[in-house]
Amino acid sequence: MRRHRTPLLFLAPALAMLLLFVIYPFVYTVCGSFLKWKGRSIVGVAGVSNYQRVLGSSDILNVRRLLKLKGPPLGALVHNLLWILIQVPLSTALGLLLAVLLRDVKGGVVIKSVIFLGMVIPMVVGGILLRFIYDAHAGVVNAVIRLIGLGKYAKTWTAHPDTALYSLIVGSVWIWTGFSMVLYSAGLESIPKEIFEAARIDGASGFRIFWHITVPMLRPITIVVLTMSVLWALKVFDIVFVATRGGPGGASSVLALEMYFRAFYHMPPDYGAAMAIVTILTLMTLGFAVYVFRLVVK
Amino acid sequence: MSRKRVLIHVVAWSIALIWIIPYLGVFIASVRPYSEIVDGWWNLHPFTLTLDSYSAVWNHKTYPLKRAFVNSILIAIPATIIPILVASLAAYSFARFSFPVKDMLFLTIVALMSLPQQVVIIPVFFLMSDMGLINTRLGLILLHSSFGLPWIILFLRNFFMTLPVEVEEAARIDGASDFQVYFRIVMPMSLPALASIAALQFNWVWNDFFFALILLLSPDKYVVTQTIPMFIGRYLISWDKVAAASILDMSVPLVVFALLQKWYVKGVVGGVIKG
Amino acid sequence: MARVVVRNLTKKFGNVTAVNRLTLDVRDGEFVVLLGPSGCGKTTTLRCIAGLEAPDEGEIYIGDKLVNELPPKDRNIAMVFQSYALYPHMKVYDNIAFPLKMRKYPKSEIDRRVREVARLLKIEELLDRKPKQLSGGQQQRVALGRALVREPDVFLMDEPLSNLDAKLRVYMRAELKRLQRELKVTTIYVTHDQVEAMTMADRIAVMNNGVLQQYAEASEIYSRPSTVFVAGFIGSPPMNFIECTLVEEQGEAYLDAGAFRYKLSEEQAKLVREKASSSELLLGVRPEHITLHLKPVEEGIKGRVYVVEPLGAELIVNVKIGESILKVKTPVHGELKVDQEVWVSFNRDRVYIFDKRTEESII
Repeated sequence: MRRHRTPLLFLAPALAMLLLFVIYPFVYTVCGSFLKWKGRSIVGVAGVSNYQRVLGSSDILNVRRLLKLKGPPLGALVHNLLWILIQVPLSTALGLLLAVLLRDVKGGVVIKSVIFLGMVIPMVVGGILLRFIYDAHAGVVNAVIRLIGLGKYAKTWTAHPDTALYSLIVGSVWIWTGFSMVLYSAGLESIPKEIFEAARIDGASGFRIFWHITVPMLRPITIVVLTMSVLWALKVFDIVFVATRGGPGGASSVLALEMYFRAFYHMPPDYGAAMAIVTILTLMTLGFAVYVFRLVVK
Repeated sequence: MSRKRVLIHVVAWSIALIWIIPYLGVFIASVRPYSEIVDGWWNLHPFTLTLDSYSAVWNHKTYPLKRAFVNSILIAIPATIIPILVASLAAYSFARFSFPVKDMLFLTIVALMSLPQQVVIIPVFFLMSDMGLINTRLGLILLHSSFGLPWIILFLRNFFMTLPVEVEEAARIDGASDFQVYFRIVMPMSLPALASIAALQFNWVWNDFFFALILLLSPDKYVVTQTIPMFIGRYLISWDKVAAASILDMSVPLVVFALLQKWYVKGVVGGVIKG
Repeated sequence: MARVVVRNLTKKFGNVTAVNRLTLDVRDGEFVVLLGPSGCGKTTTLRCIAGLEAPDEGEIYIGDKLVNELPPKDRNIAMVFQSYALYPHMKVYDNIAFPLKMRKYPKSEIDRRVREVARLLKIEELLDRKPKQLSGGQQQRVALGRALVREPDVFLMDEPLSNLDAKLRVYMRAELKRLQRELKVTTIYVTHDQVEAMTMADRIAVMNNGVLQQYAEASEIYSRPSTVFVAGFIGSPPMNFIECTLVEEQGEAYLDAGAFRYKLSEEQAKLVREKASSSELLLGVRPEHITLHLKPVEEGIKGRVYVVEPLGAELIVNVKIGESILKVKTPVHGELKVDQEVWVSFNRDRVYIFDKRTEESII
């Protein structure tokens, strides 16, 4: 029918590109994770053995150290989860507080722009900045530590197994808070002023207004912020690559980095394992996205 | 000002200071010689102003940033224009036409937004090898263009739905074909939205590291983000040069942000907050 | 110039039938108004004629050509939208020139025609402005200009005046009418405003719930409404309806409304007996066809003043008779007090009787 020809024409280029460079590779990767690879050639069906190999590797899941409740390296999978657990709540809450706080501050717009810069600059530069501030000699973090008389603790924080991961996570809060703050700011603007005025007339204090009116009304924003932050924390790559390369001794490694090592760094490449890692990663992101989607639809 | 307001201002500006210090540090490190900053850029004696680090990285022997800039620009501009053209056509189709499986198709495309880059890269690497596109700008342009489609489609479809449909109907009655309606009426009416998208997509491509890392192999093809880590030595980091390179790298997205700030933030917020 | 014929047009949106088997014949050069409340299907009908909606059933002819399968651009029609739908990014000149550009007219011809239309509509000095810089009335003229410039076979207008303020609307009403007379272009005009319809139309098509109720000249629609809906929709304030039953006593026929009886004339009684499907009837009288008396009169019906609404030279008196209220339009009448006893009498020639079940007119 004539009426269906135009939509098809309009859609065709987009669909072709998505099929070739997104959907087909995605399906290929998922299927490939169940195959046996020798270099670029498929040499048989692997079943779940790639997954067993990957999950059994201490790079991904360091069961021994986990059971002993030791610090990193705990395996990239655990590092990703720690990243979510620490960074997401911190940058979300901080973003909300800043959005509320900076509303009444002179020059708040400027401060907001500065905080948002973390979302504008390349993540590679973000990684450089983190490596720089944590440097033993040239880093400003250690200068502050010396200033408050704790000089003996000064060190390159990203170079020590017990602090590398956590210092990167805290640094990523610095980078990502701008996102949550900007979304919350826009959300605050969309709440009608009369609601706050009504609450004030009803006798609510500042904190109660924040807790009983602002926070619930921003719930849709919170869902979006949480979703995006979790997805980013799962996909994190550039920062770690530049700041620590996952080191020392895998103490700050993440899934995306482990996948890169196996497919494009180590020789010969282990595509089976790399595809299994990235399928696990994708399952987590997609699963989370679907979970949130259903939460919103409800 | 009441005491409480003063306190709020002090807190706010302290936070601002925490956020600005790393940028400030990197900037100061980039304009001073290595010997002066190796023990802290905040030590201001002696203070020598120099652009040596900039010229050193700009004209570096193996990894000249000059060439990397050209490469980045040659990739980022087409990888901004192509997906906007392609995605806007698709978005218009989703916003204005009805056809079978429309809703399912749209949801699928939206779901693709959550895919990590890593999940496509191995097969894309194979594909590009077979097509002879490894180590070419075209390969990276195609990949970035495709990967950017889902969010642009979502964003523009939401925008198109807010446009008054009568204007397009008037154009059709005035004798315009579907393509003419699109290019002569809808596109010009969508300039603000297109500005948001162009700013975000350009920066996204400029800032990307992972795709370039995998697909561009020889130093003469390297983009800027790829070049930066090359200045980090194994044991000794020349902070002056790394800082200069970082400043140069981030200057481009910062300029885009500064020029299109209003649209930039709208783009980030867009689609998230409706009414 | 062309006539427009719509035959058995049906258009559904999901479960909703927007237009139901509509048949309409518009003569060459005629000004026809589609009139009805919102949601009655008038705009859908217009959009089907324009080709913006595809009919589910039925045929549409423009000239003598079946246009069902033709896209809007090949129907040689022009349309003015309620929101004007000007192209916001183009200057007034380019807005008006757009239909000609799309048809690849030579530049000089385009220029000549745009300026001619601009002169006709008195918008010559606005040609360099963008739509945003224009007032509502000016935008309206530009929209008209864009429709006129191509000299189309048919004008379609979808409530083109409803976004204007009251004063301008009255002025543009006359303007539009004059233009149409001058250009003699077949025009189909949609509105919900009965005054607009009455003053502008050669013929009015009254629609309700997707069904054509009556298609006739304005005076006919007013004086001989064919259904309860038309009778109630046209006229302000609307016609009074009183539910009643037909009663026969000693060879005489009466309408029994409970509170009063209305005696039918021989002729009326004959028509009612012939046409009514049952004895359940509606008696309809327009407020302007009721006379108010302060003293009892022959055939007068007694009631009490309920509310008085002064309109300057006239009054609308709400008279309570039994449980129902009759609106009476009357010249100013000394002093009327609420609850005062009054008598009303109907103008015999202007009394309507409808079948309550079929809602169709009997007299």
